Amino acid sequence: MAMKKKRYALVVDSRKCINCKACVVACKAENNVPIGNFRNRINEERKGEYPKLSINFEPEQCHHCAEPSCVRVCPTGASWQRKDGIVLVNYDECIGCRYCMVACPYDARYFNEEQGVVDKCTLCSHRVDKGNVPACVETCPSKVRVFGDLEDTSSRIHELLATRRYRVKEPQTGNGPQLYYLL
Amino acid sequence: MHEFNWGLLIVIYLFLGGLSAGLFFAAGLADYMTVDDKPVYARVARMGAFLAPWPVAIGSGLLILDLGNWYRFYKLFIHFRWESPMSIGSYLLTIFTVIAFLYLFAWLTADERQWLFSKVPATWKQVHRLNVDISSWRGKIAMVGFPFSIGVGIYTGVLLGAVSARPFWNTNLVAQMFLFSALSSGAAALMLAMVLNKKSPAEKHEIKFLVTLDVVFISLELFIILPYLIHGQLSSLAVKQALGLILGGPYTFVFWGPFLVMGLLVPLAIEVYELAPNIFKGHEFHGSRNLALTAAGLVLIGGFLLRYIFVYAGQVSSFHQMGLLR
Ligand code: SF4
Ligand code: SF4
Repeated sequence: MAMKKKRYALVVDSRKCINCKACVVACKAENNVPIGNFRNRINEERKGEYPKLSINFEPEQCHHCAEPSCVRVCPTGASWQRKDGIVLVNYDECIGCRYCMVACPYDARYFNEEQGVVDKCTLCSHRVDKGNVPACVETCPSKVRVFGDLEDTSSRIHELLATRRYRVKEPQTGNGPQLYYLL
Repeated sequence: MHEFNWGLLIVIYLFLGGLSAGLFFAAGLADYMTVDDKPVYARVARMGAFLAPWPVAIGSGLLILDLGNWYRFYKLFIHFRWESPMSIGSYLLTIFTVIAFLYLFAWLTADERQWLFSKVPATWKQVHRLNVDISSWRGKIAMVGFPFSIGVGIYTGVLLGAVSARPFWNTNLVAQMFLFSALSSGAAALMLAMVLNKKSPAEKHEIKFLVTLDVVFISLELFIILPYLIHGQLSSLAVKQALGLILGGPYTFVFWGPFLVMGLLVPLAIEVYELAPNIFKGHEFHGSRNLALTAAGLVLIGGFLLRYIFVYAGQVSSFHQMGLLR
């Protein structure tokens, strides 16, 4: 039987985010991210002055773009994209030129000084391949994150994107980002 | 604060790559220029041929050292990715460097060749078979090398211009800007070397040739920088904000002062001042040594600053988090 096409993505209900950073910590532990580097982050957006003040928290990480510019510019093919949409770095092929870091419009990548290679969110492909969800998704106490396969019409992520309004960040980059922020 | 993933080494690399391209171009051109069928600029061509390969060779070395894993640089040459400017550029740069060294070799005198091969152990027979006179190939090597030198000059701009994530770079003008800057740096470096060469002082017609070349290239560069600024102002918000980096932002001073005025306009004015009486009034070309040195020095500094500004300001520019939106 032919495998059905898959397209993994992440829906983020950022209004529920309370900036507890459990996802950041879980990611660091799960993926042995070096001290000082992060694969995901919480952007803070402040509006107004006290007492009329609001702060929005917006989790962000690699958008696993449909047209990833990091992959396009990589001279060795170390940055590559799986058929299911996950963008990865092949650490054995990476020469550490950092062209992909410069070319990523979402500043999603970091340089691993020790290994001299570039690294970033893998959407926990090692967990996903075993049928689990990424560590950040599992950890999030306020259920901000929903991971799933966009091609699977019975999935929760499919339902959310079909019924809710959402936005992606800076679509004008042309990268086709796949982090969907619910409105 | 924004981190710079590319730093000074990349700036130097882009500058040196362009410099070699410009030196080769000027040398090849001088080679082809004849008056009454006599190669009047042969000394210029020879000097250019001697200088051309070194900057790019040093620059490539620096780039390799800048890699996270420098010993993996060979991987650049076991893959070919036509979508990646860096991949194409690596091949282009290598071929150009080989041609530039070949061109240098073609300009060696018989004595110089003997001296060079006397350093090679006599038992290395294969190497000694390379001790041949290829001076008659000069014209052909230059002809083959022209497109590659232009390619290298353009590549240094495309490397940045092709990055769609950085609005400061991502216009179709950066490639030409870098090319003409490279060509003018090459002409200036050659002028510097000719004038500084005490053993056989540069003659007036030689300086005039290089000054003319430089005036043409600087003017072309200026005519690209102007539309770059205008285009930026008339473009989408992201590009406009990116241009803000040199129009009021942190790179404003170095762009307008040291780069545009000192690195382009002042040397252009000096060179026109030198050239104009000769061209328009038929006076003798004065060929002042000091003015030539000043102009050439300023052009080189300007060429370096252009790369500096672009590499750094470009990395700050992006589609989000720019000043206004913050
Ligand atoms: S967000 Fe950046 S690193 Fe991730 S796929 Fe897109 S371009 Fe590549
Ligand atoms: S740093 Fe590594 S992954 Fe990034 S472009 Fe260079 S070789 Fe490719």
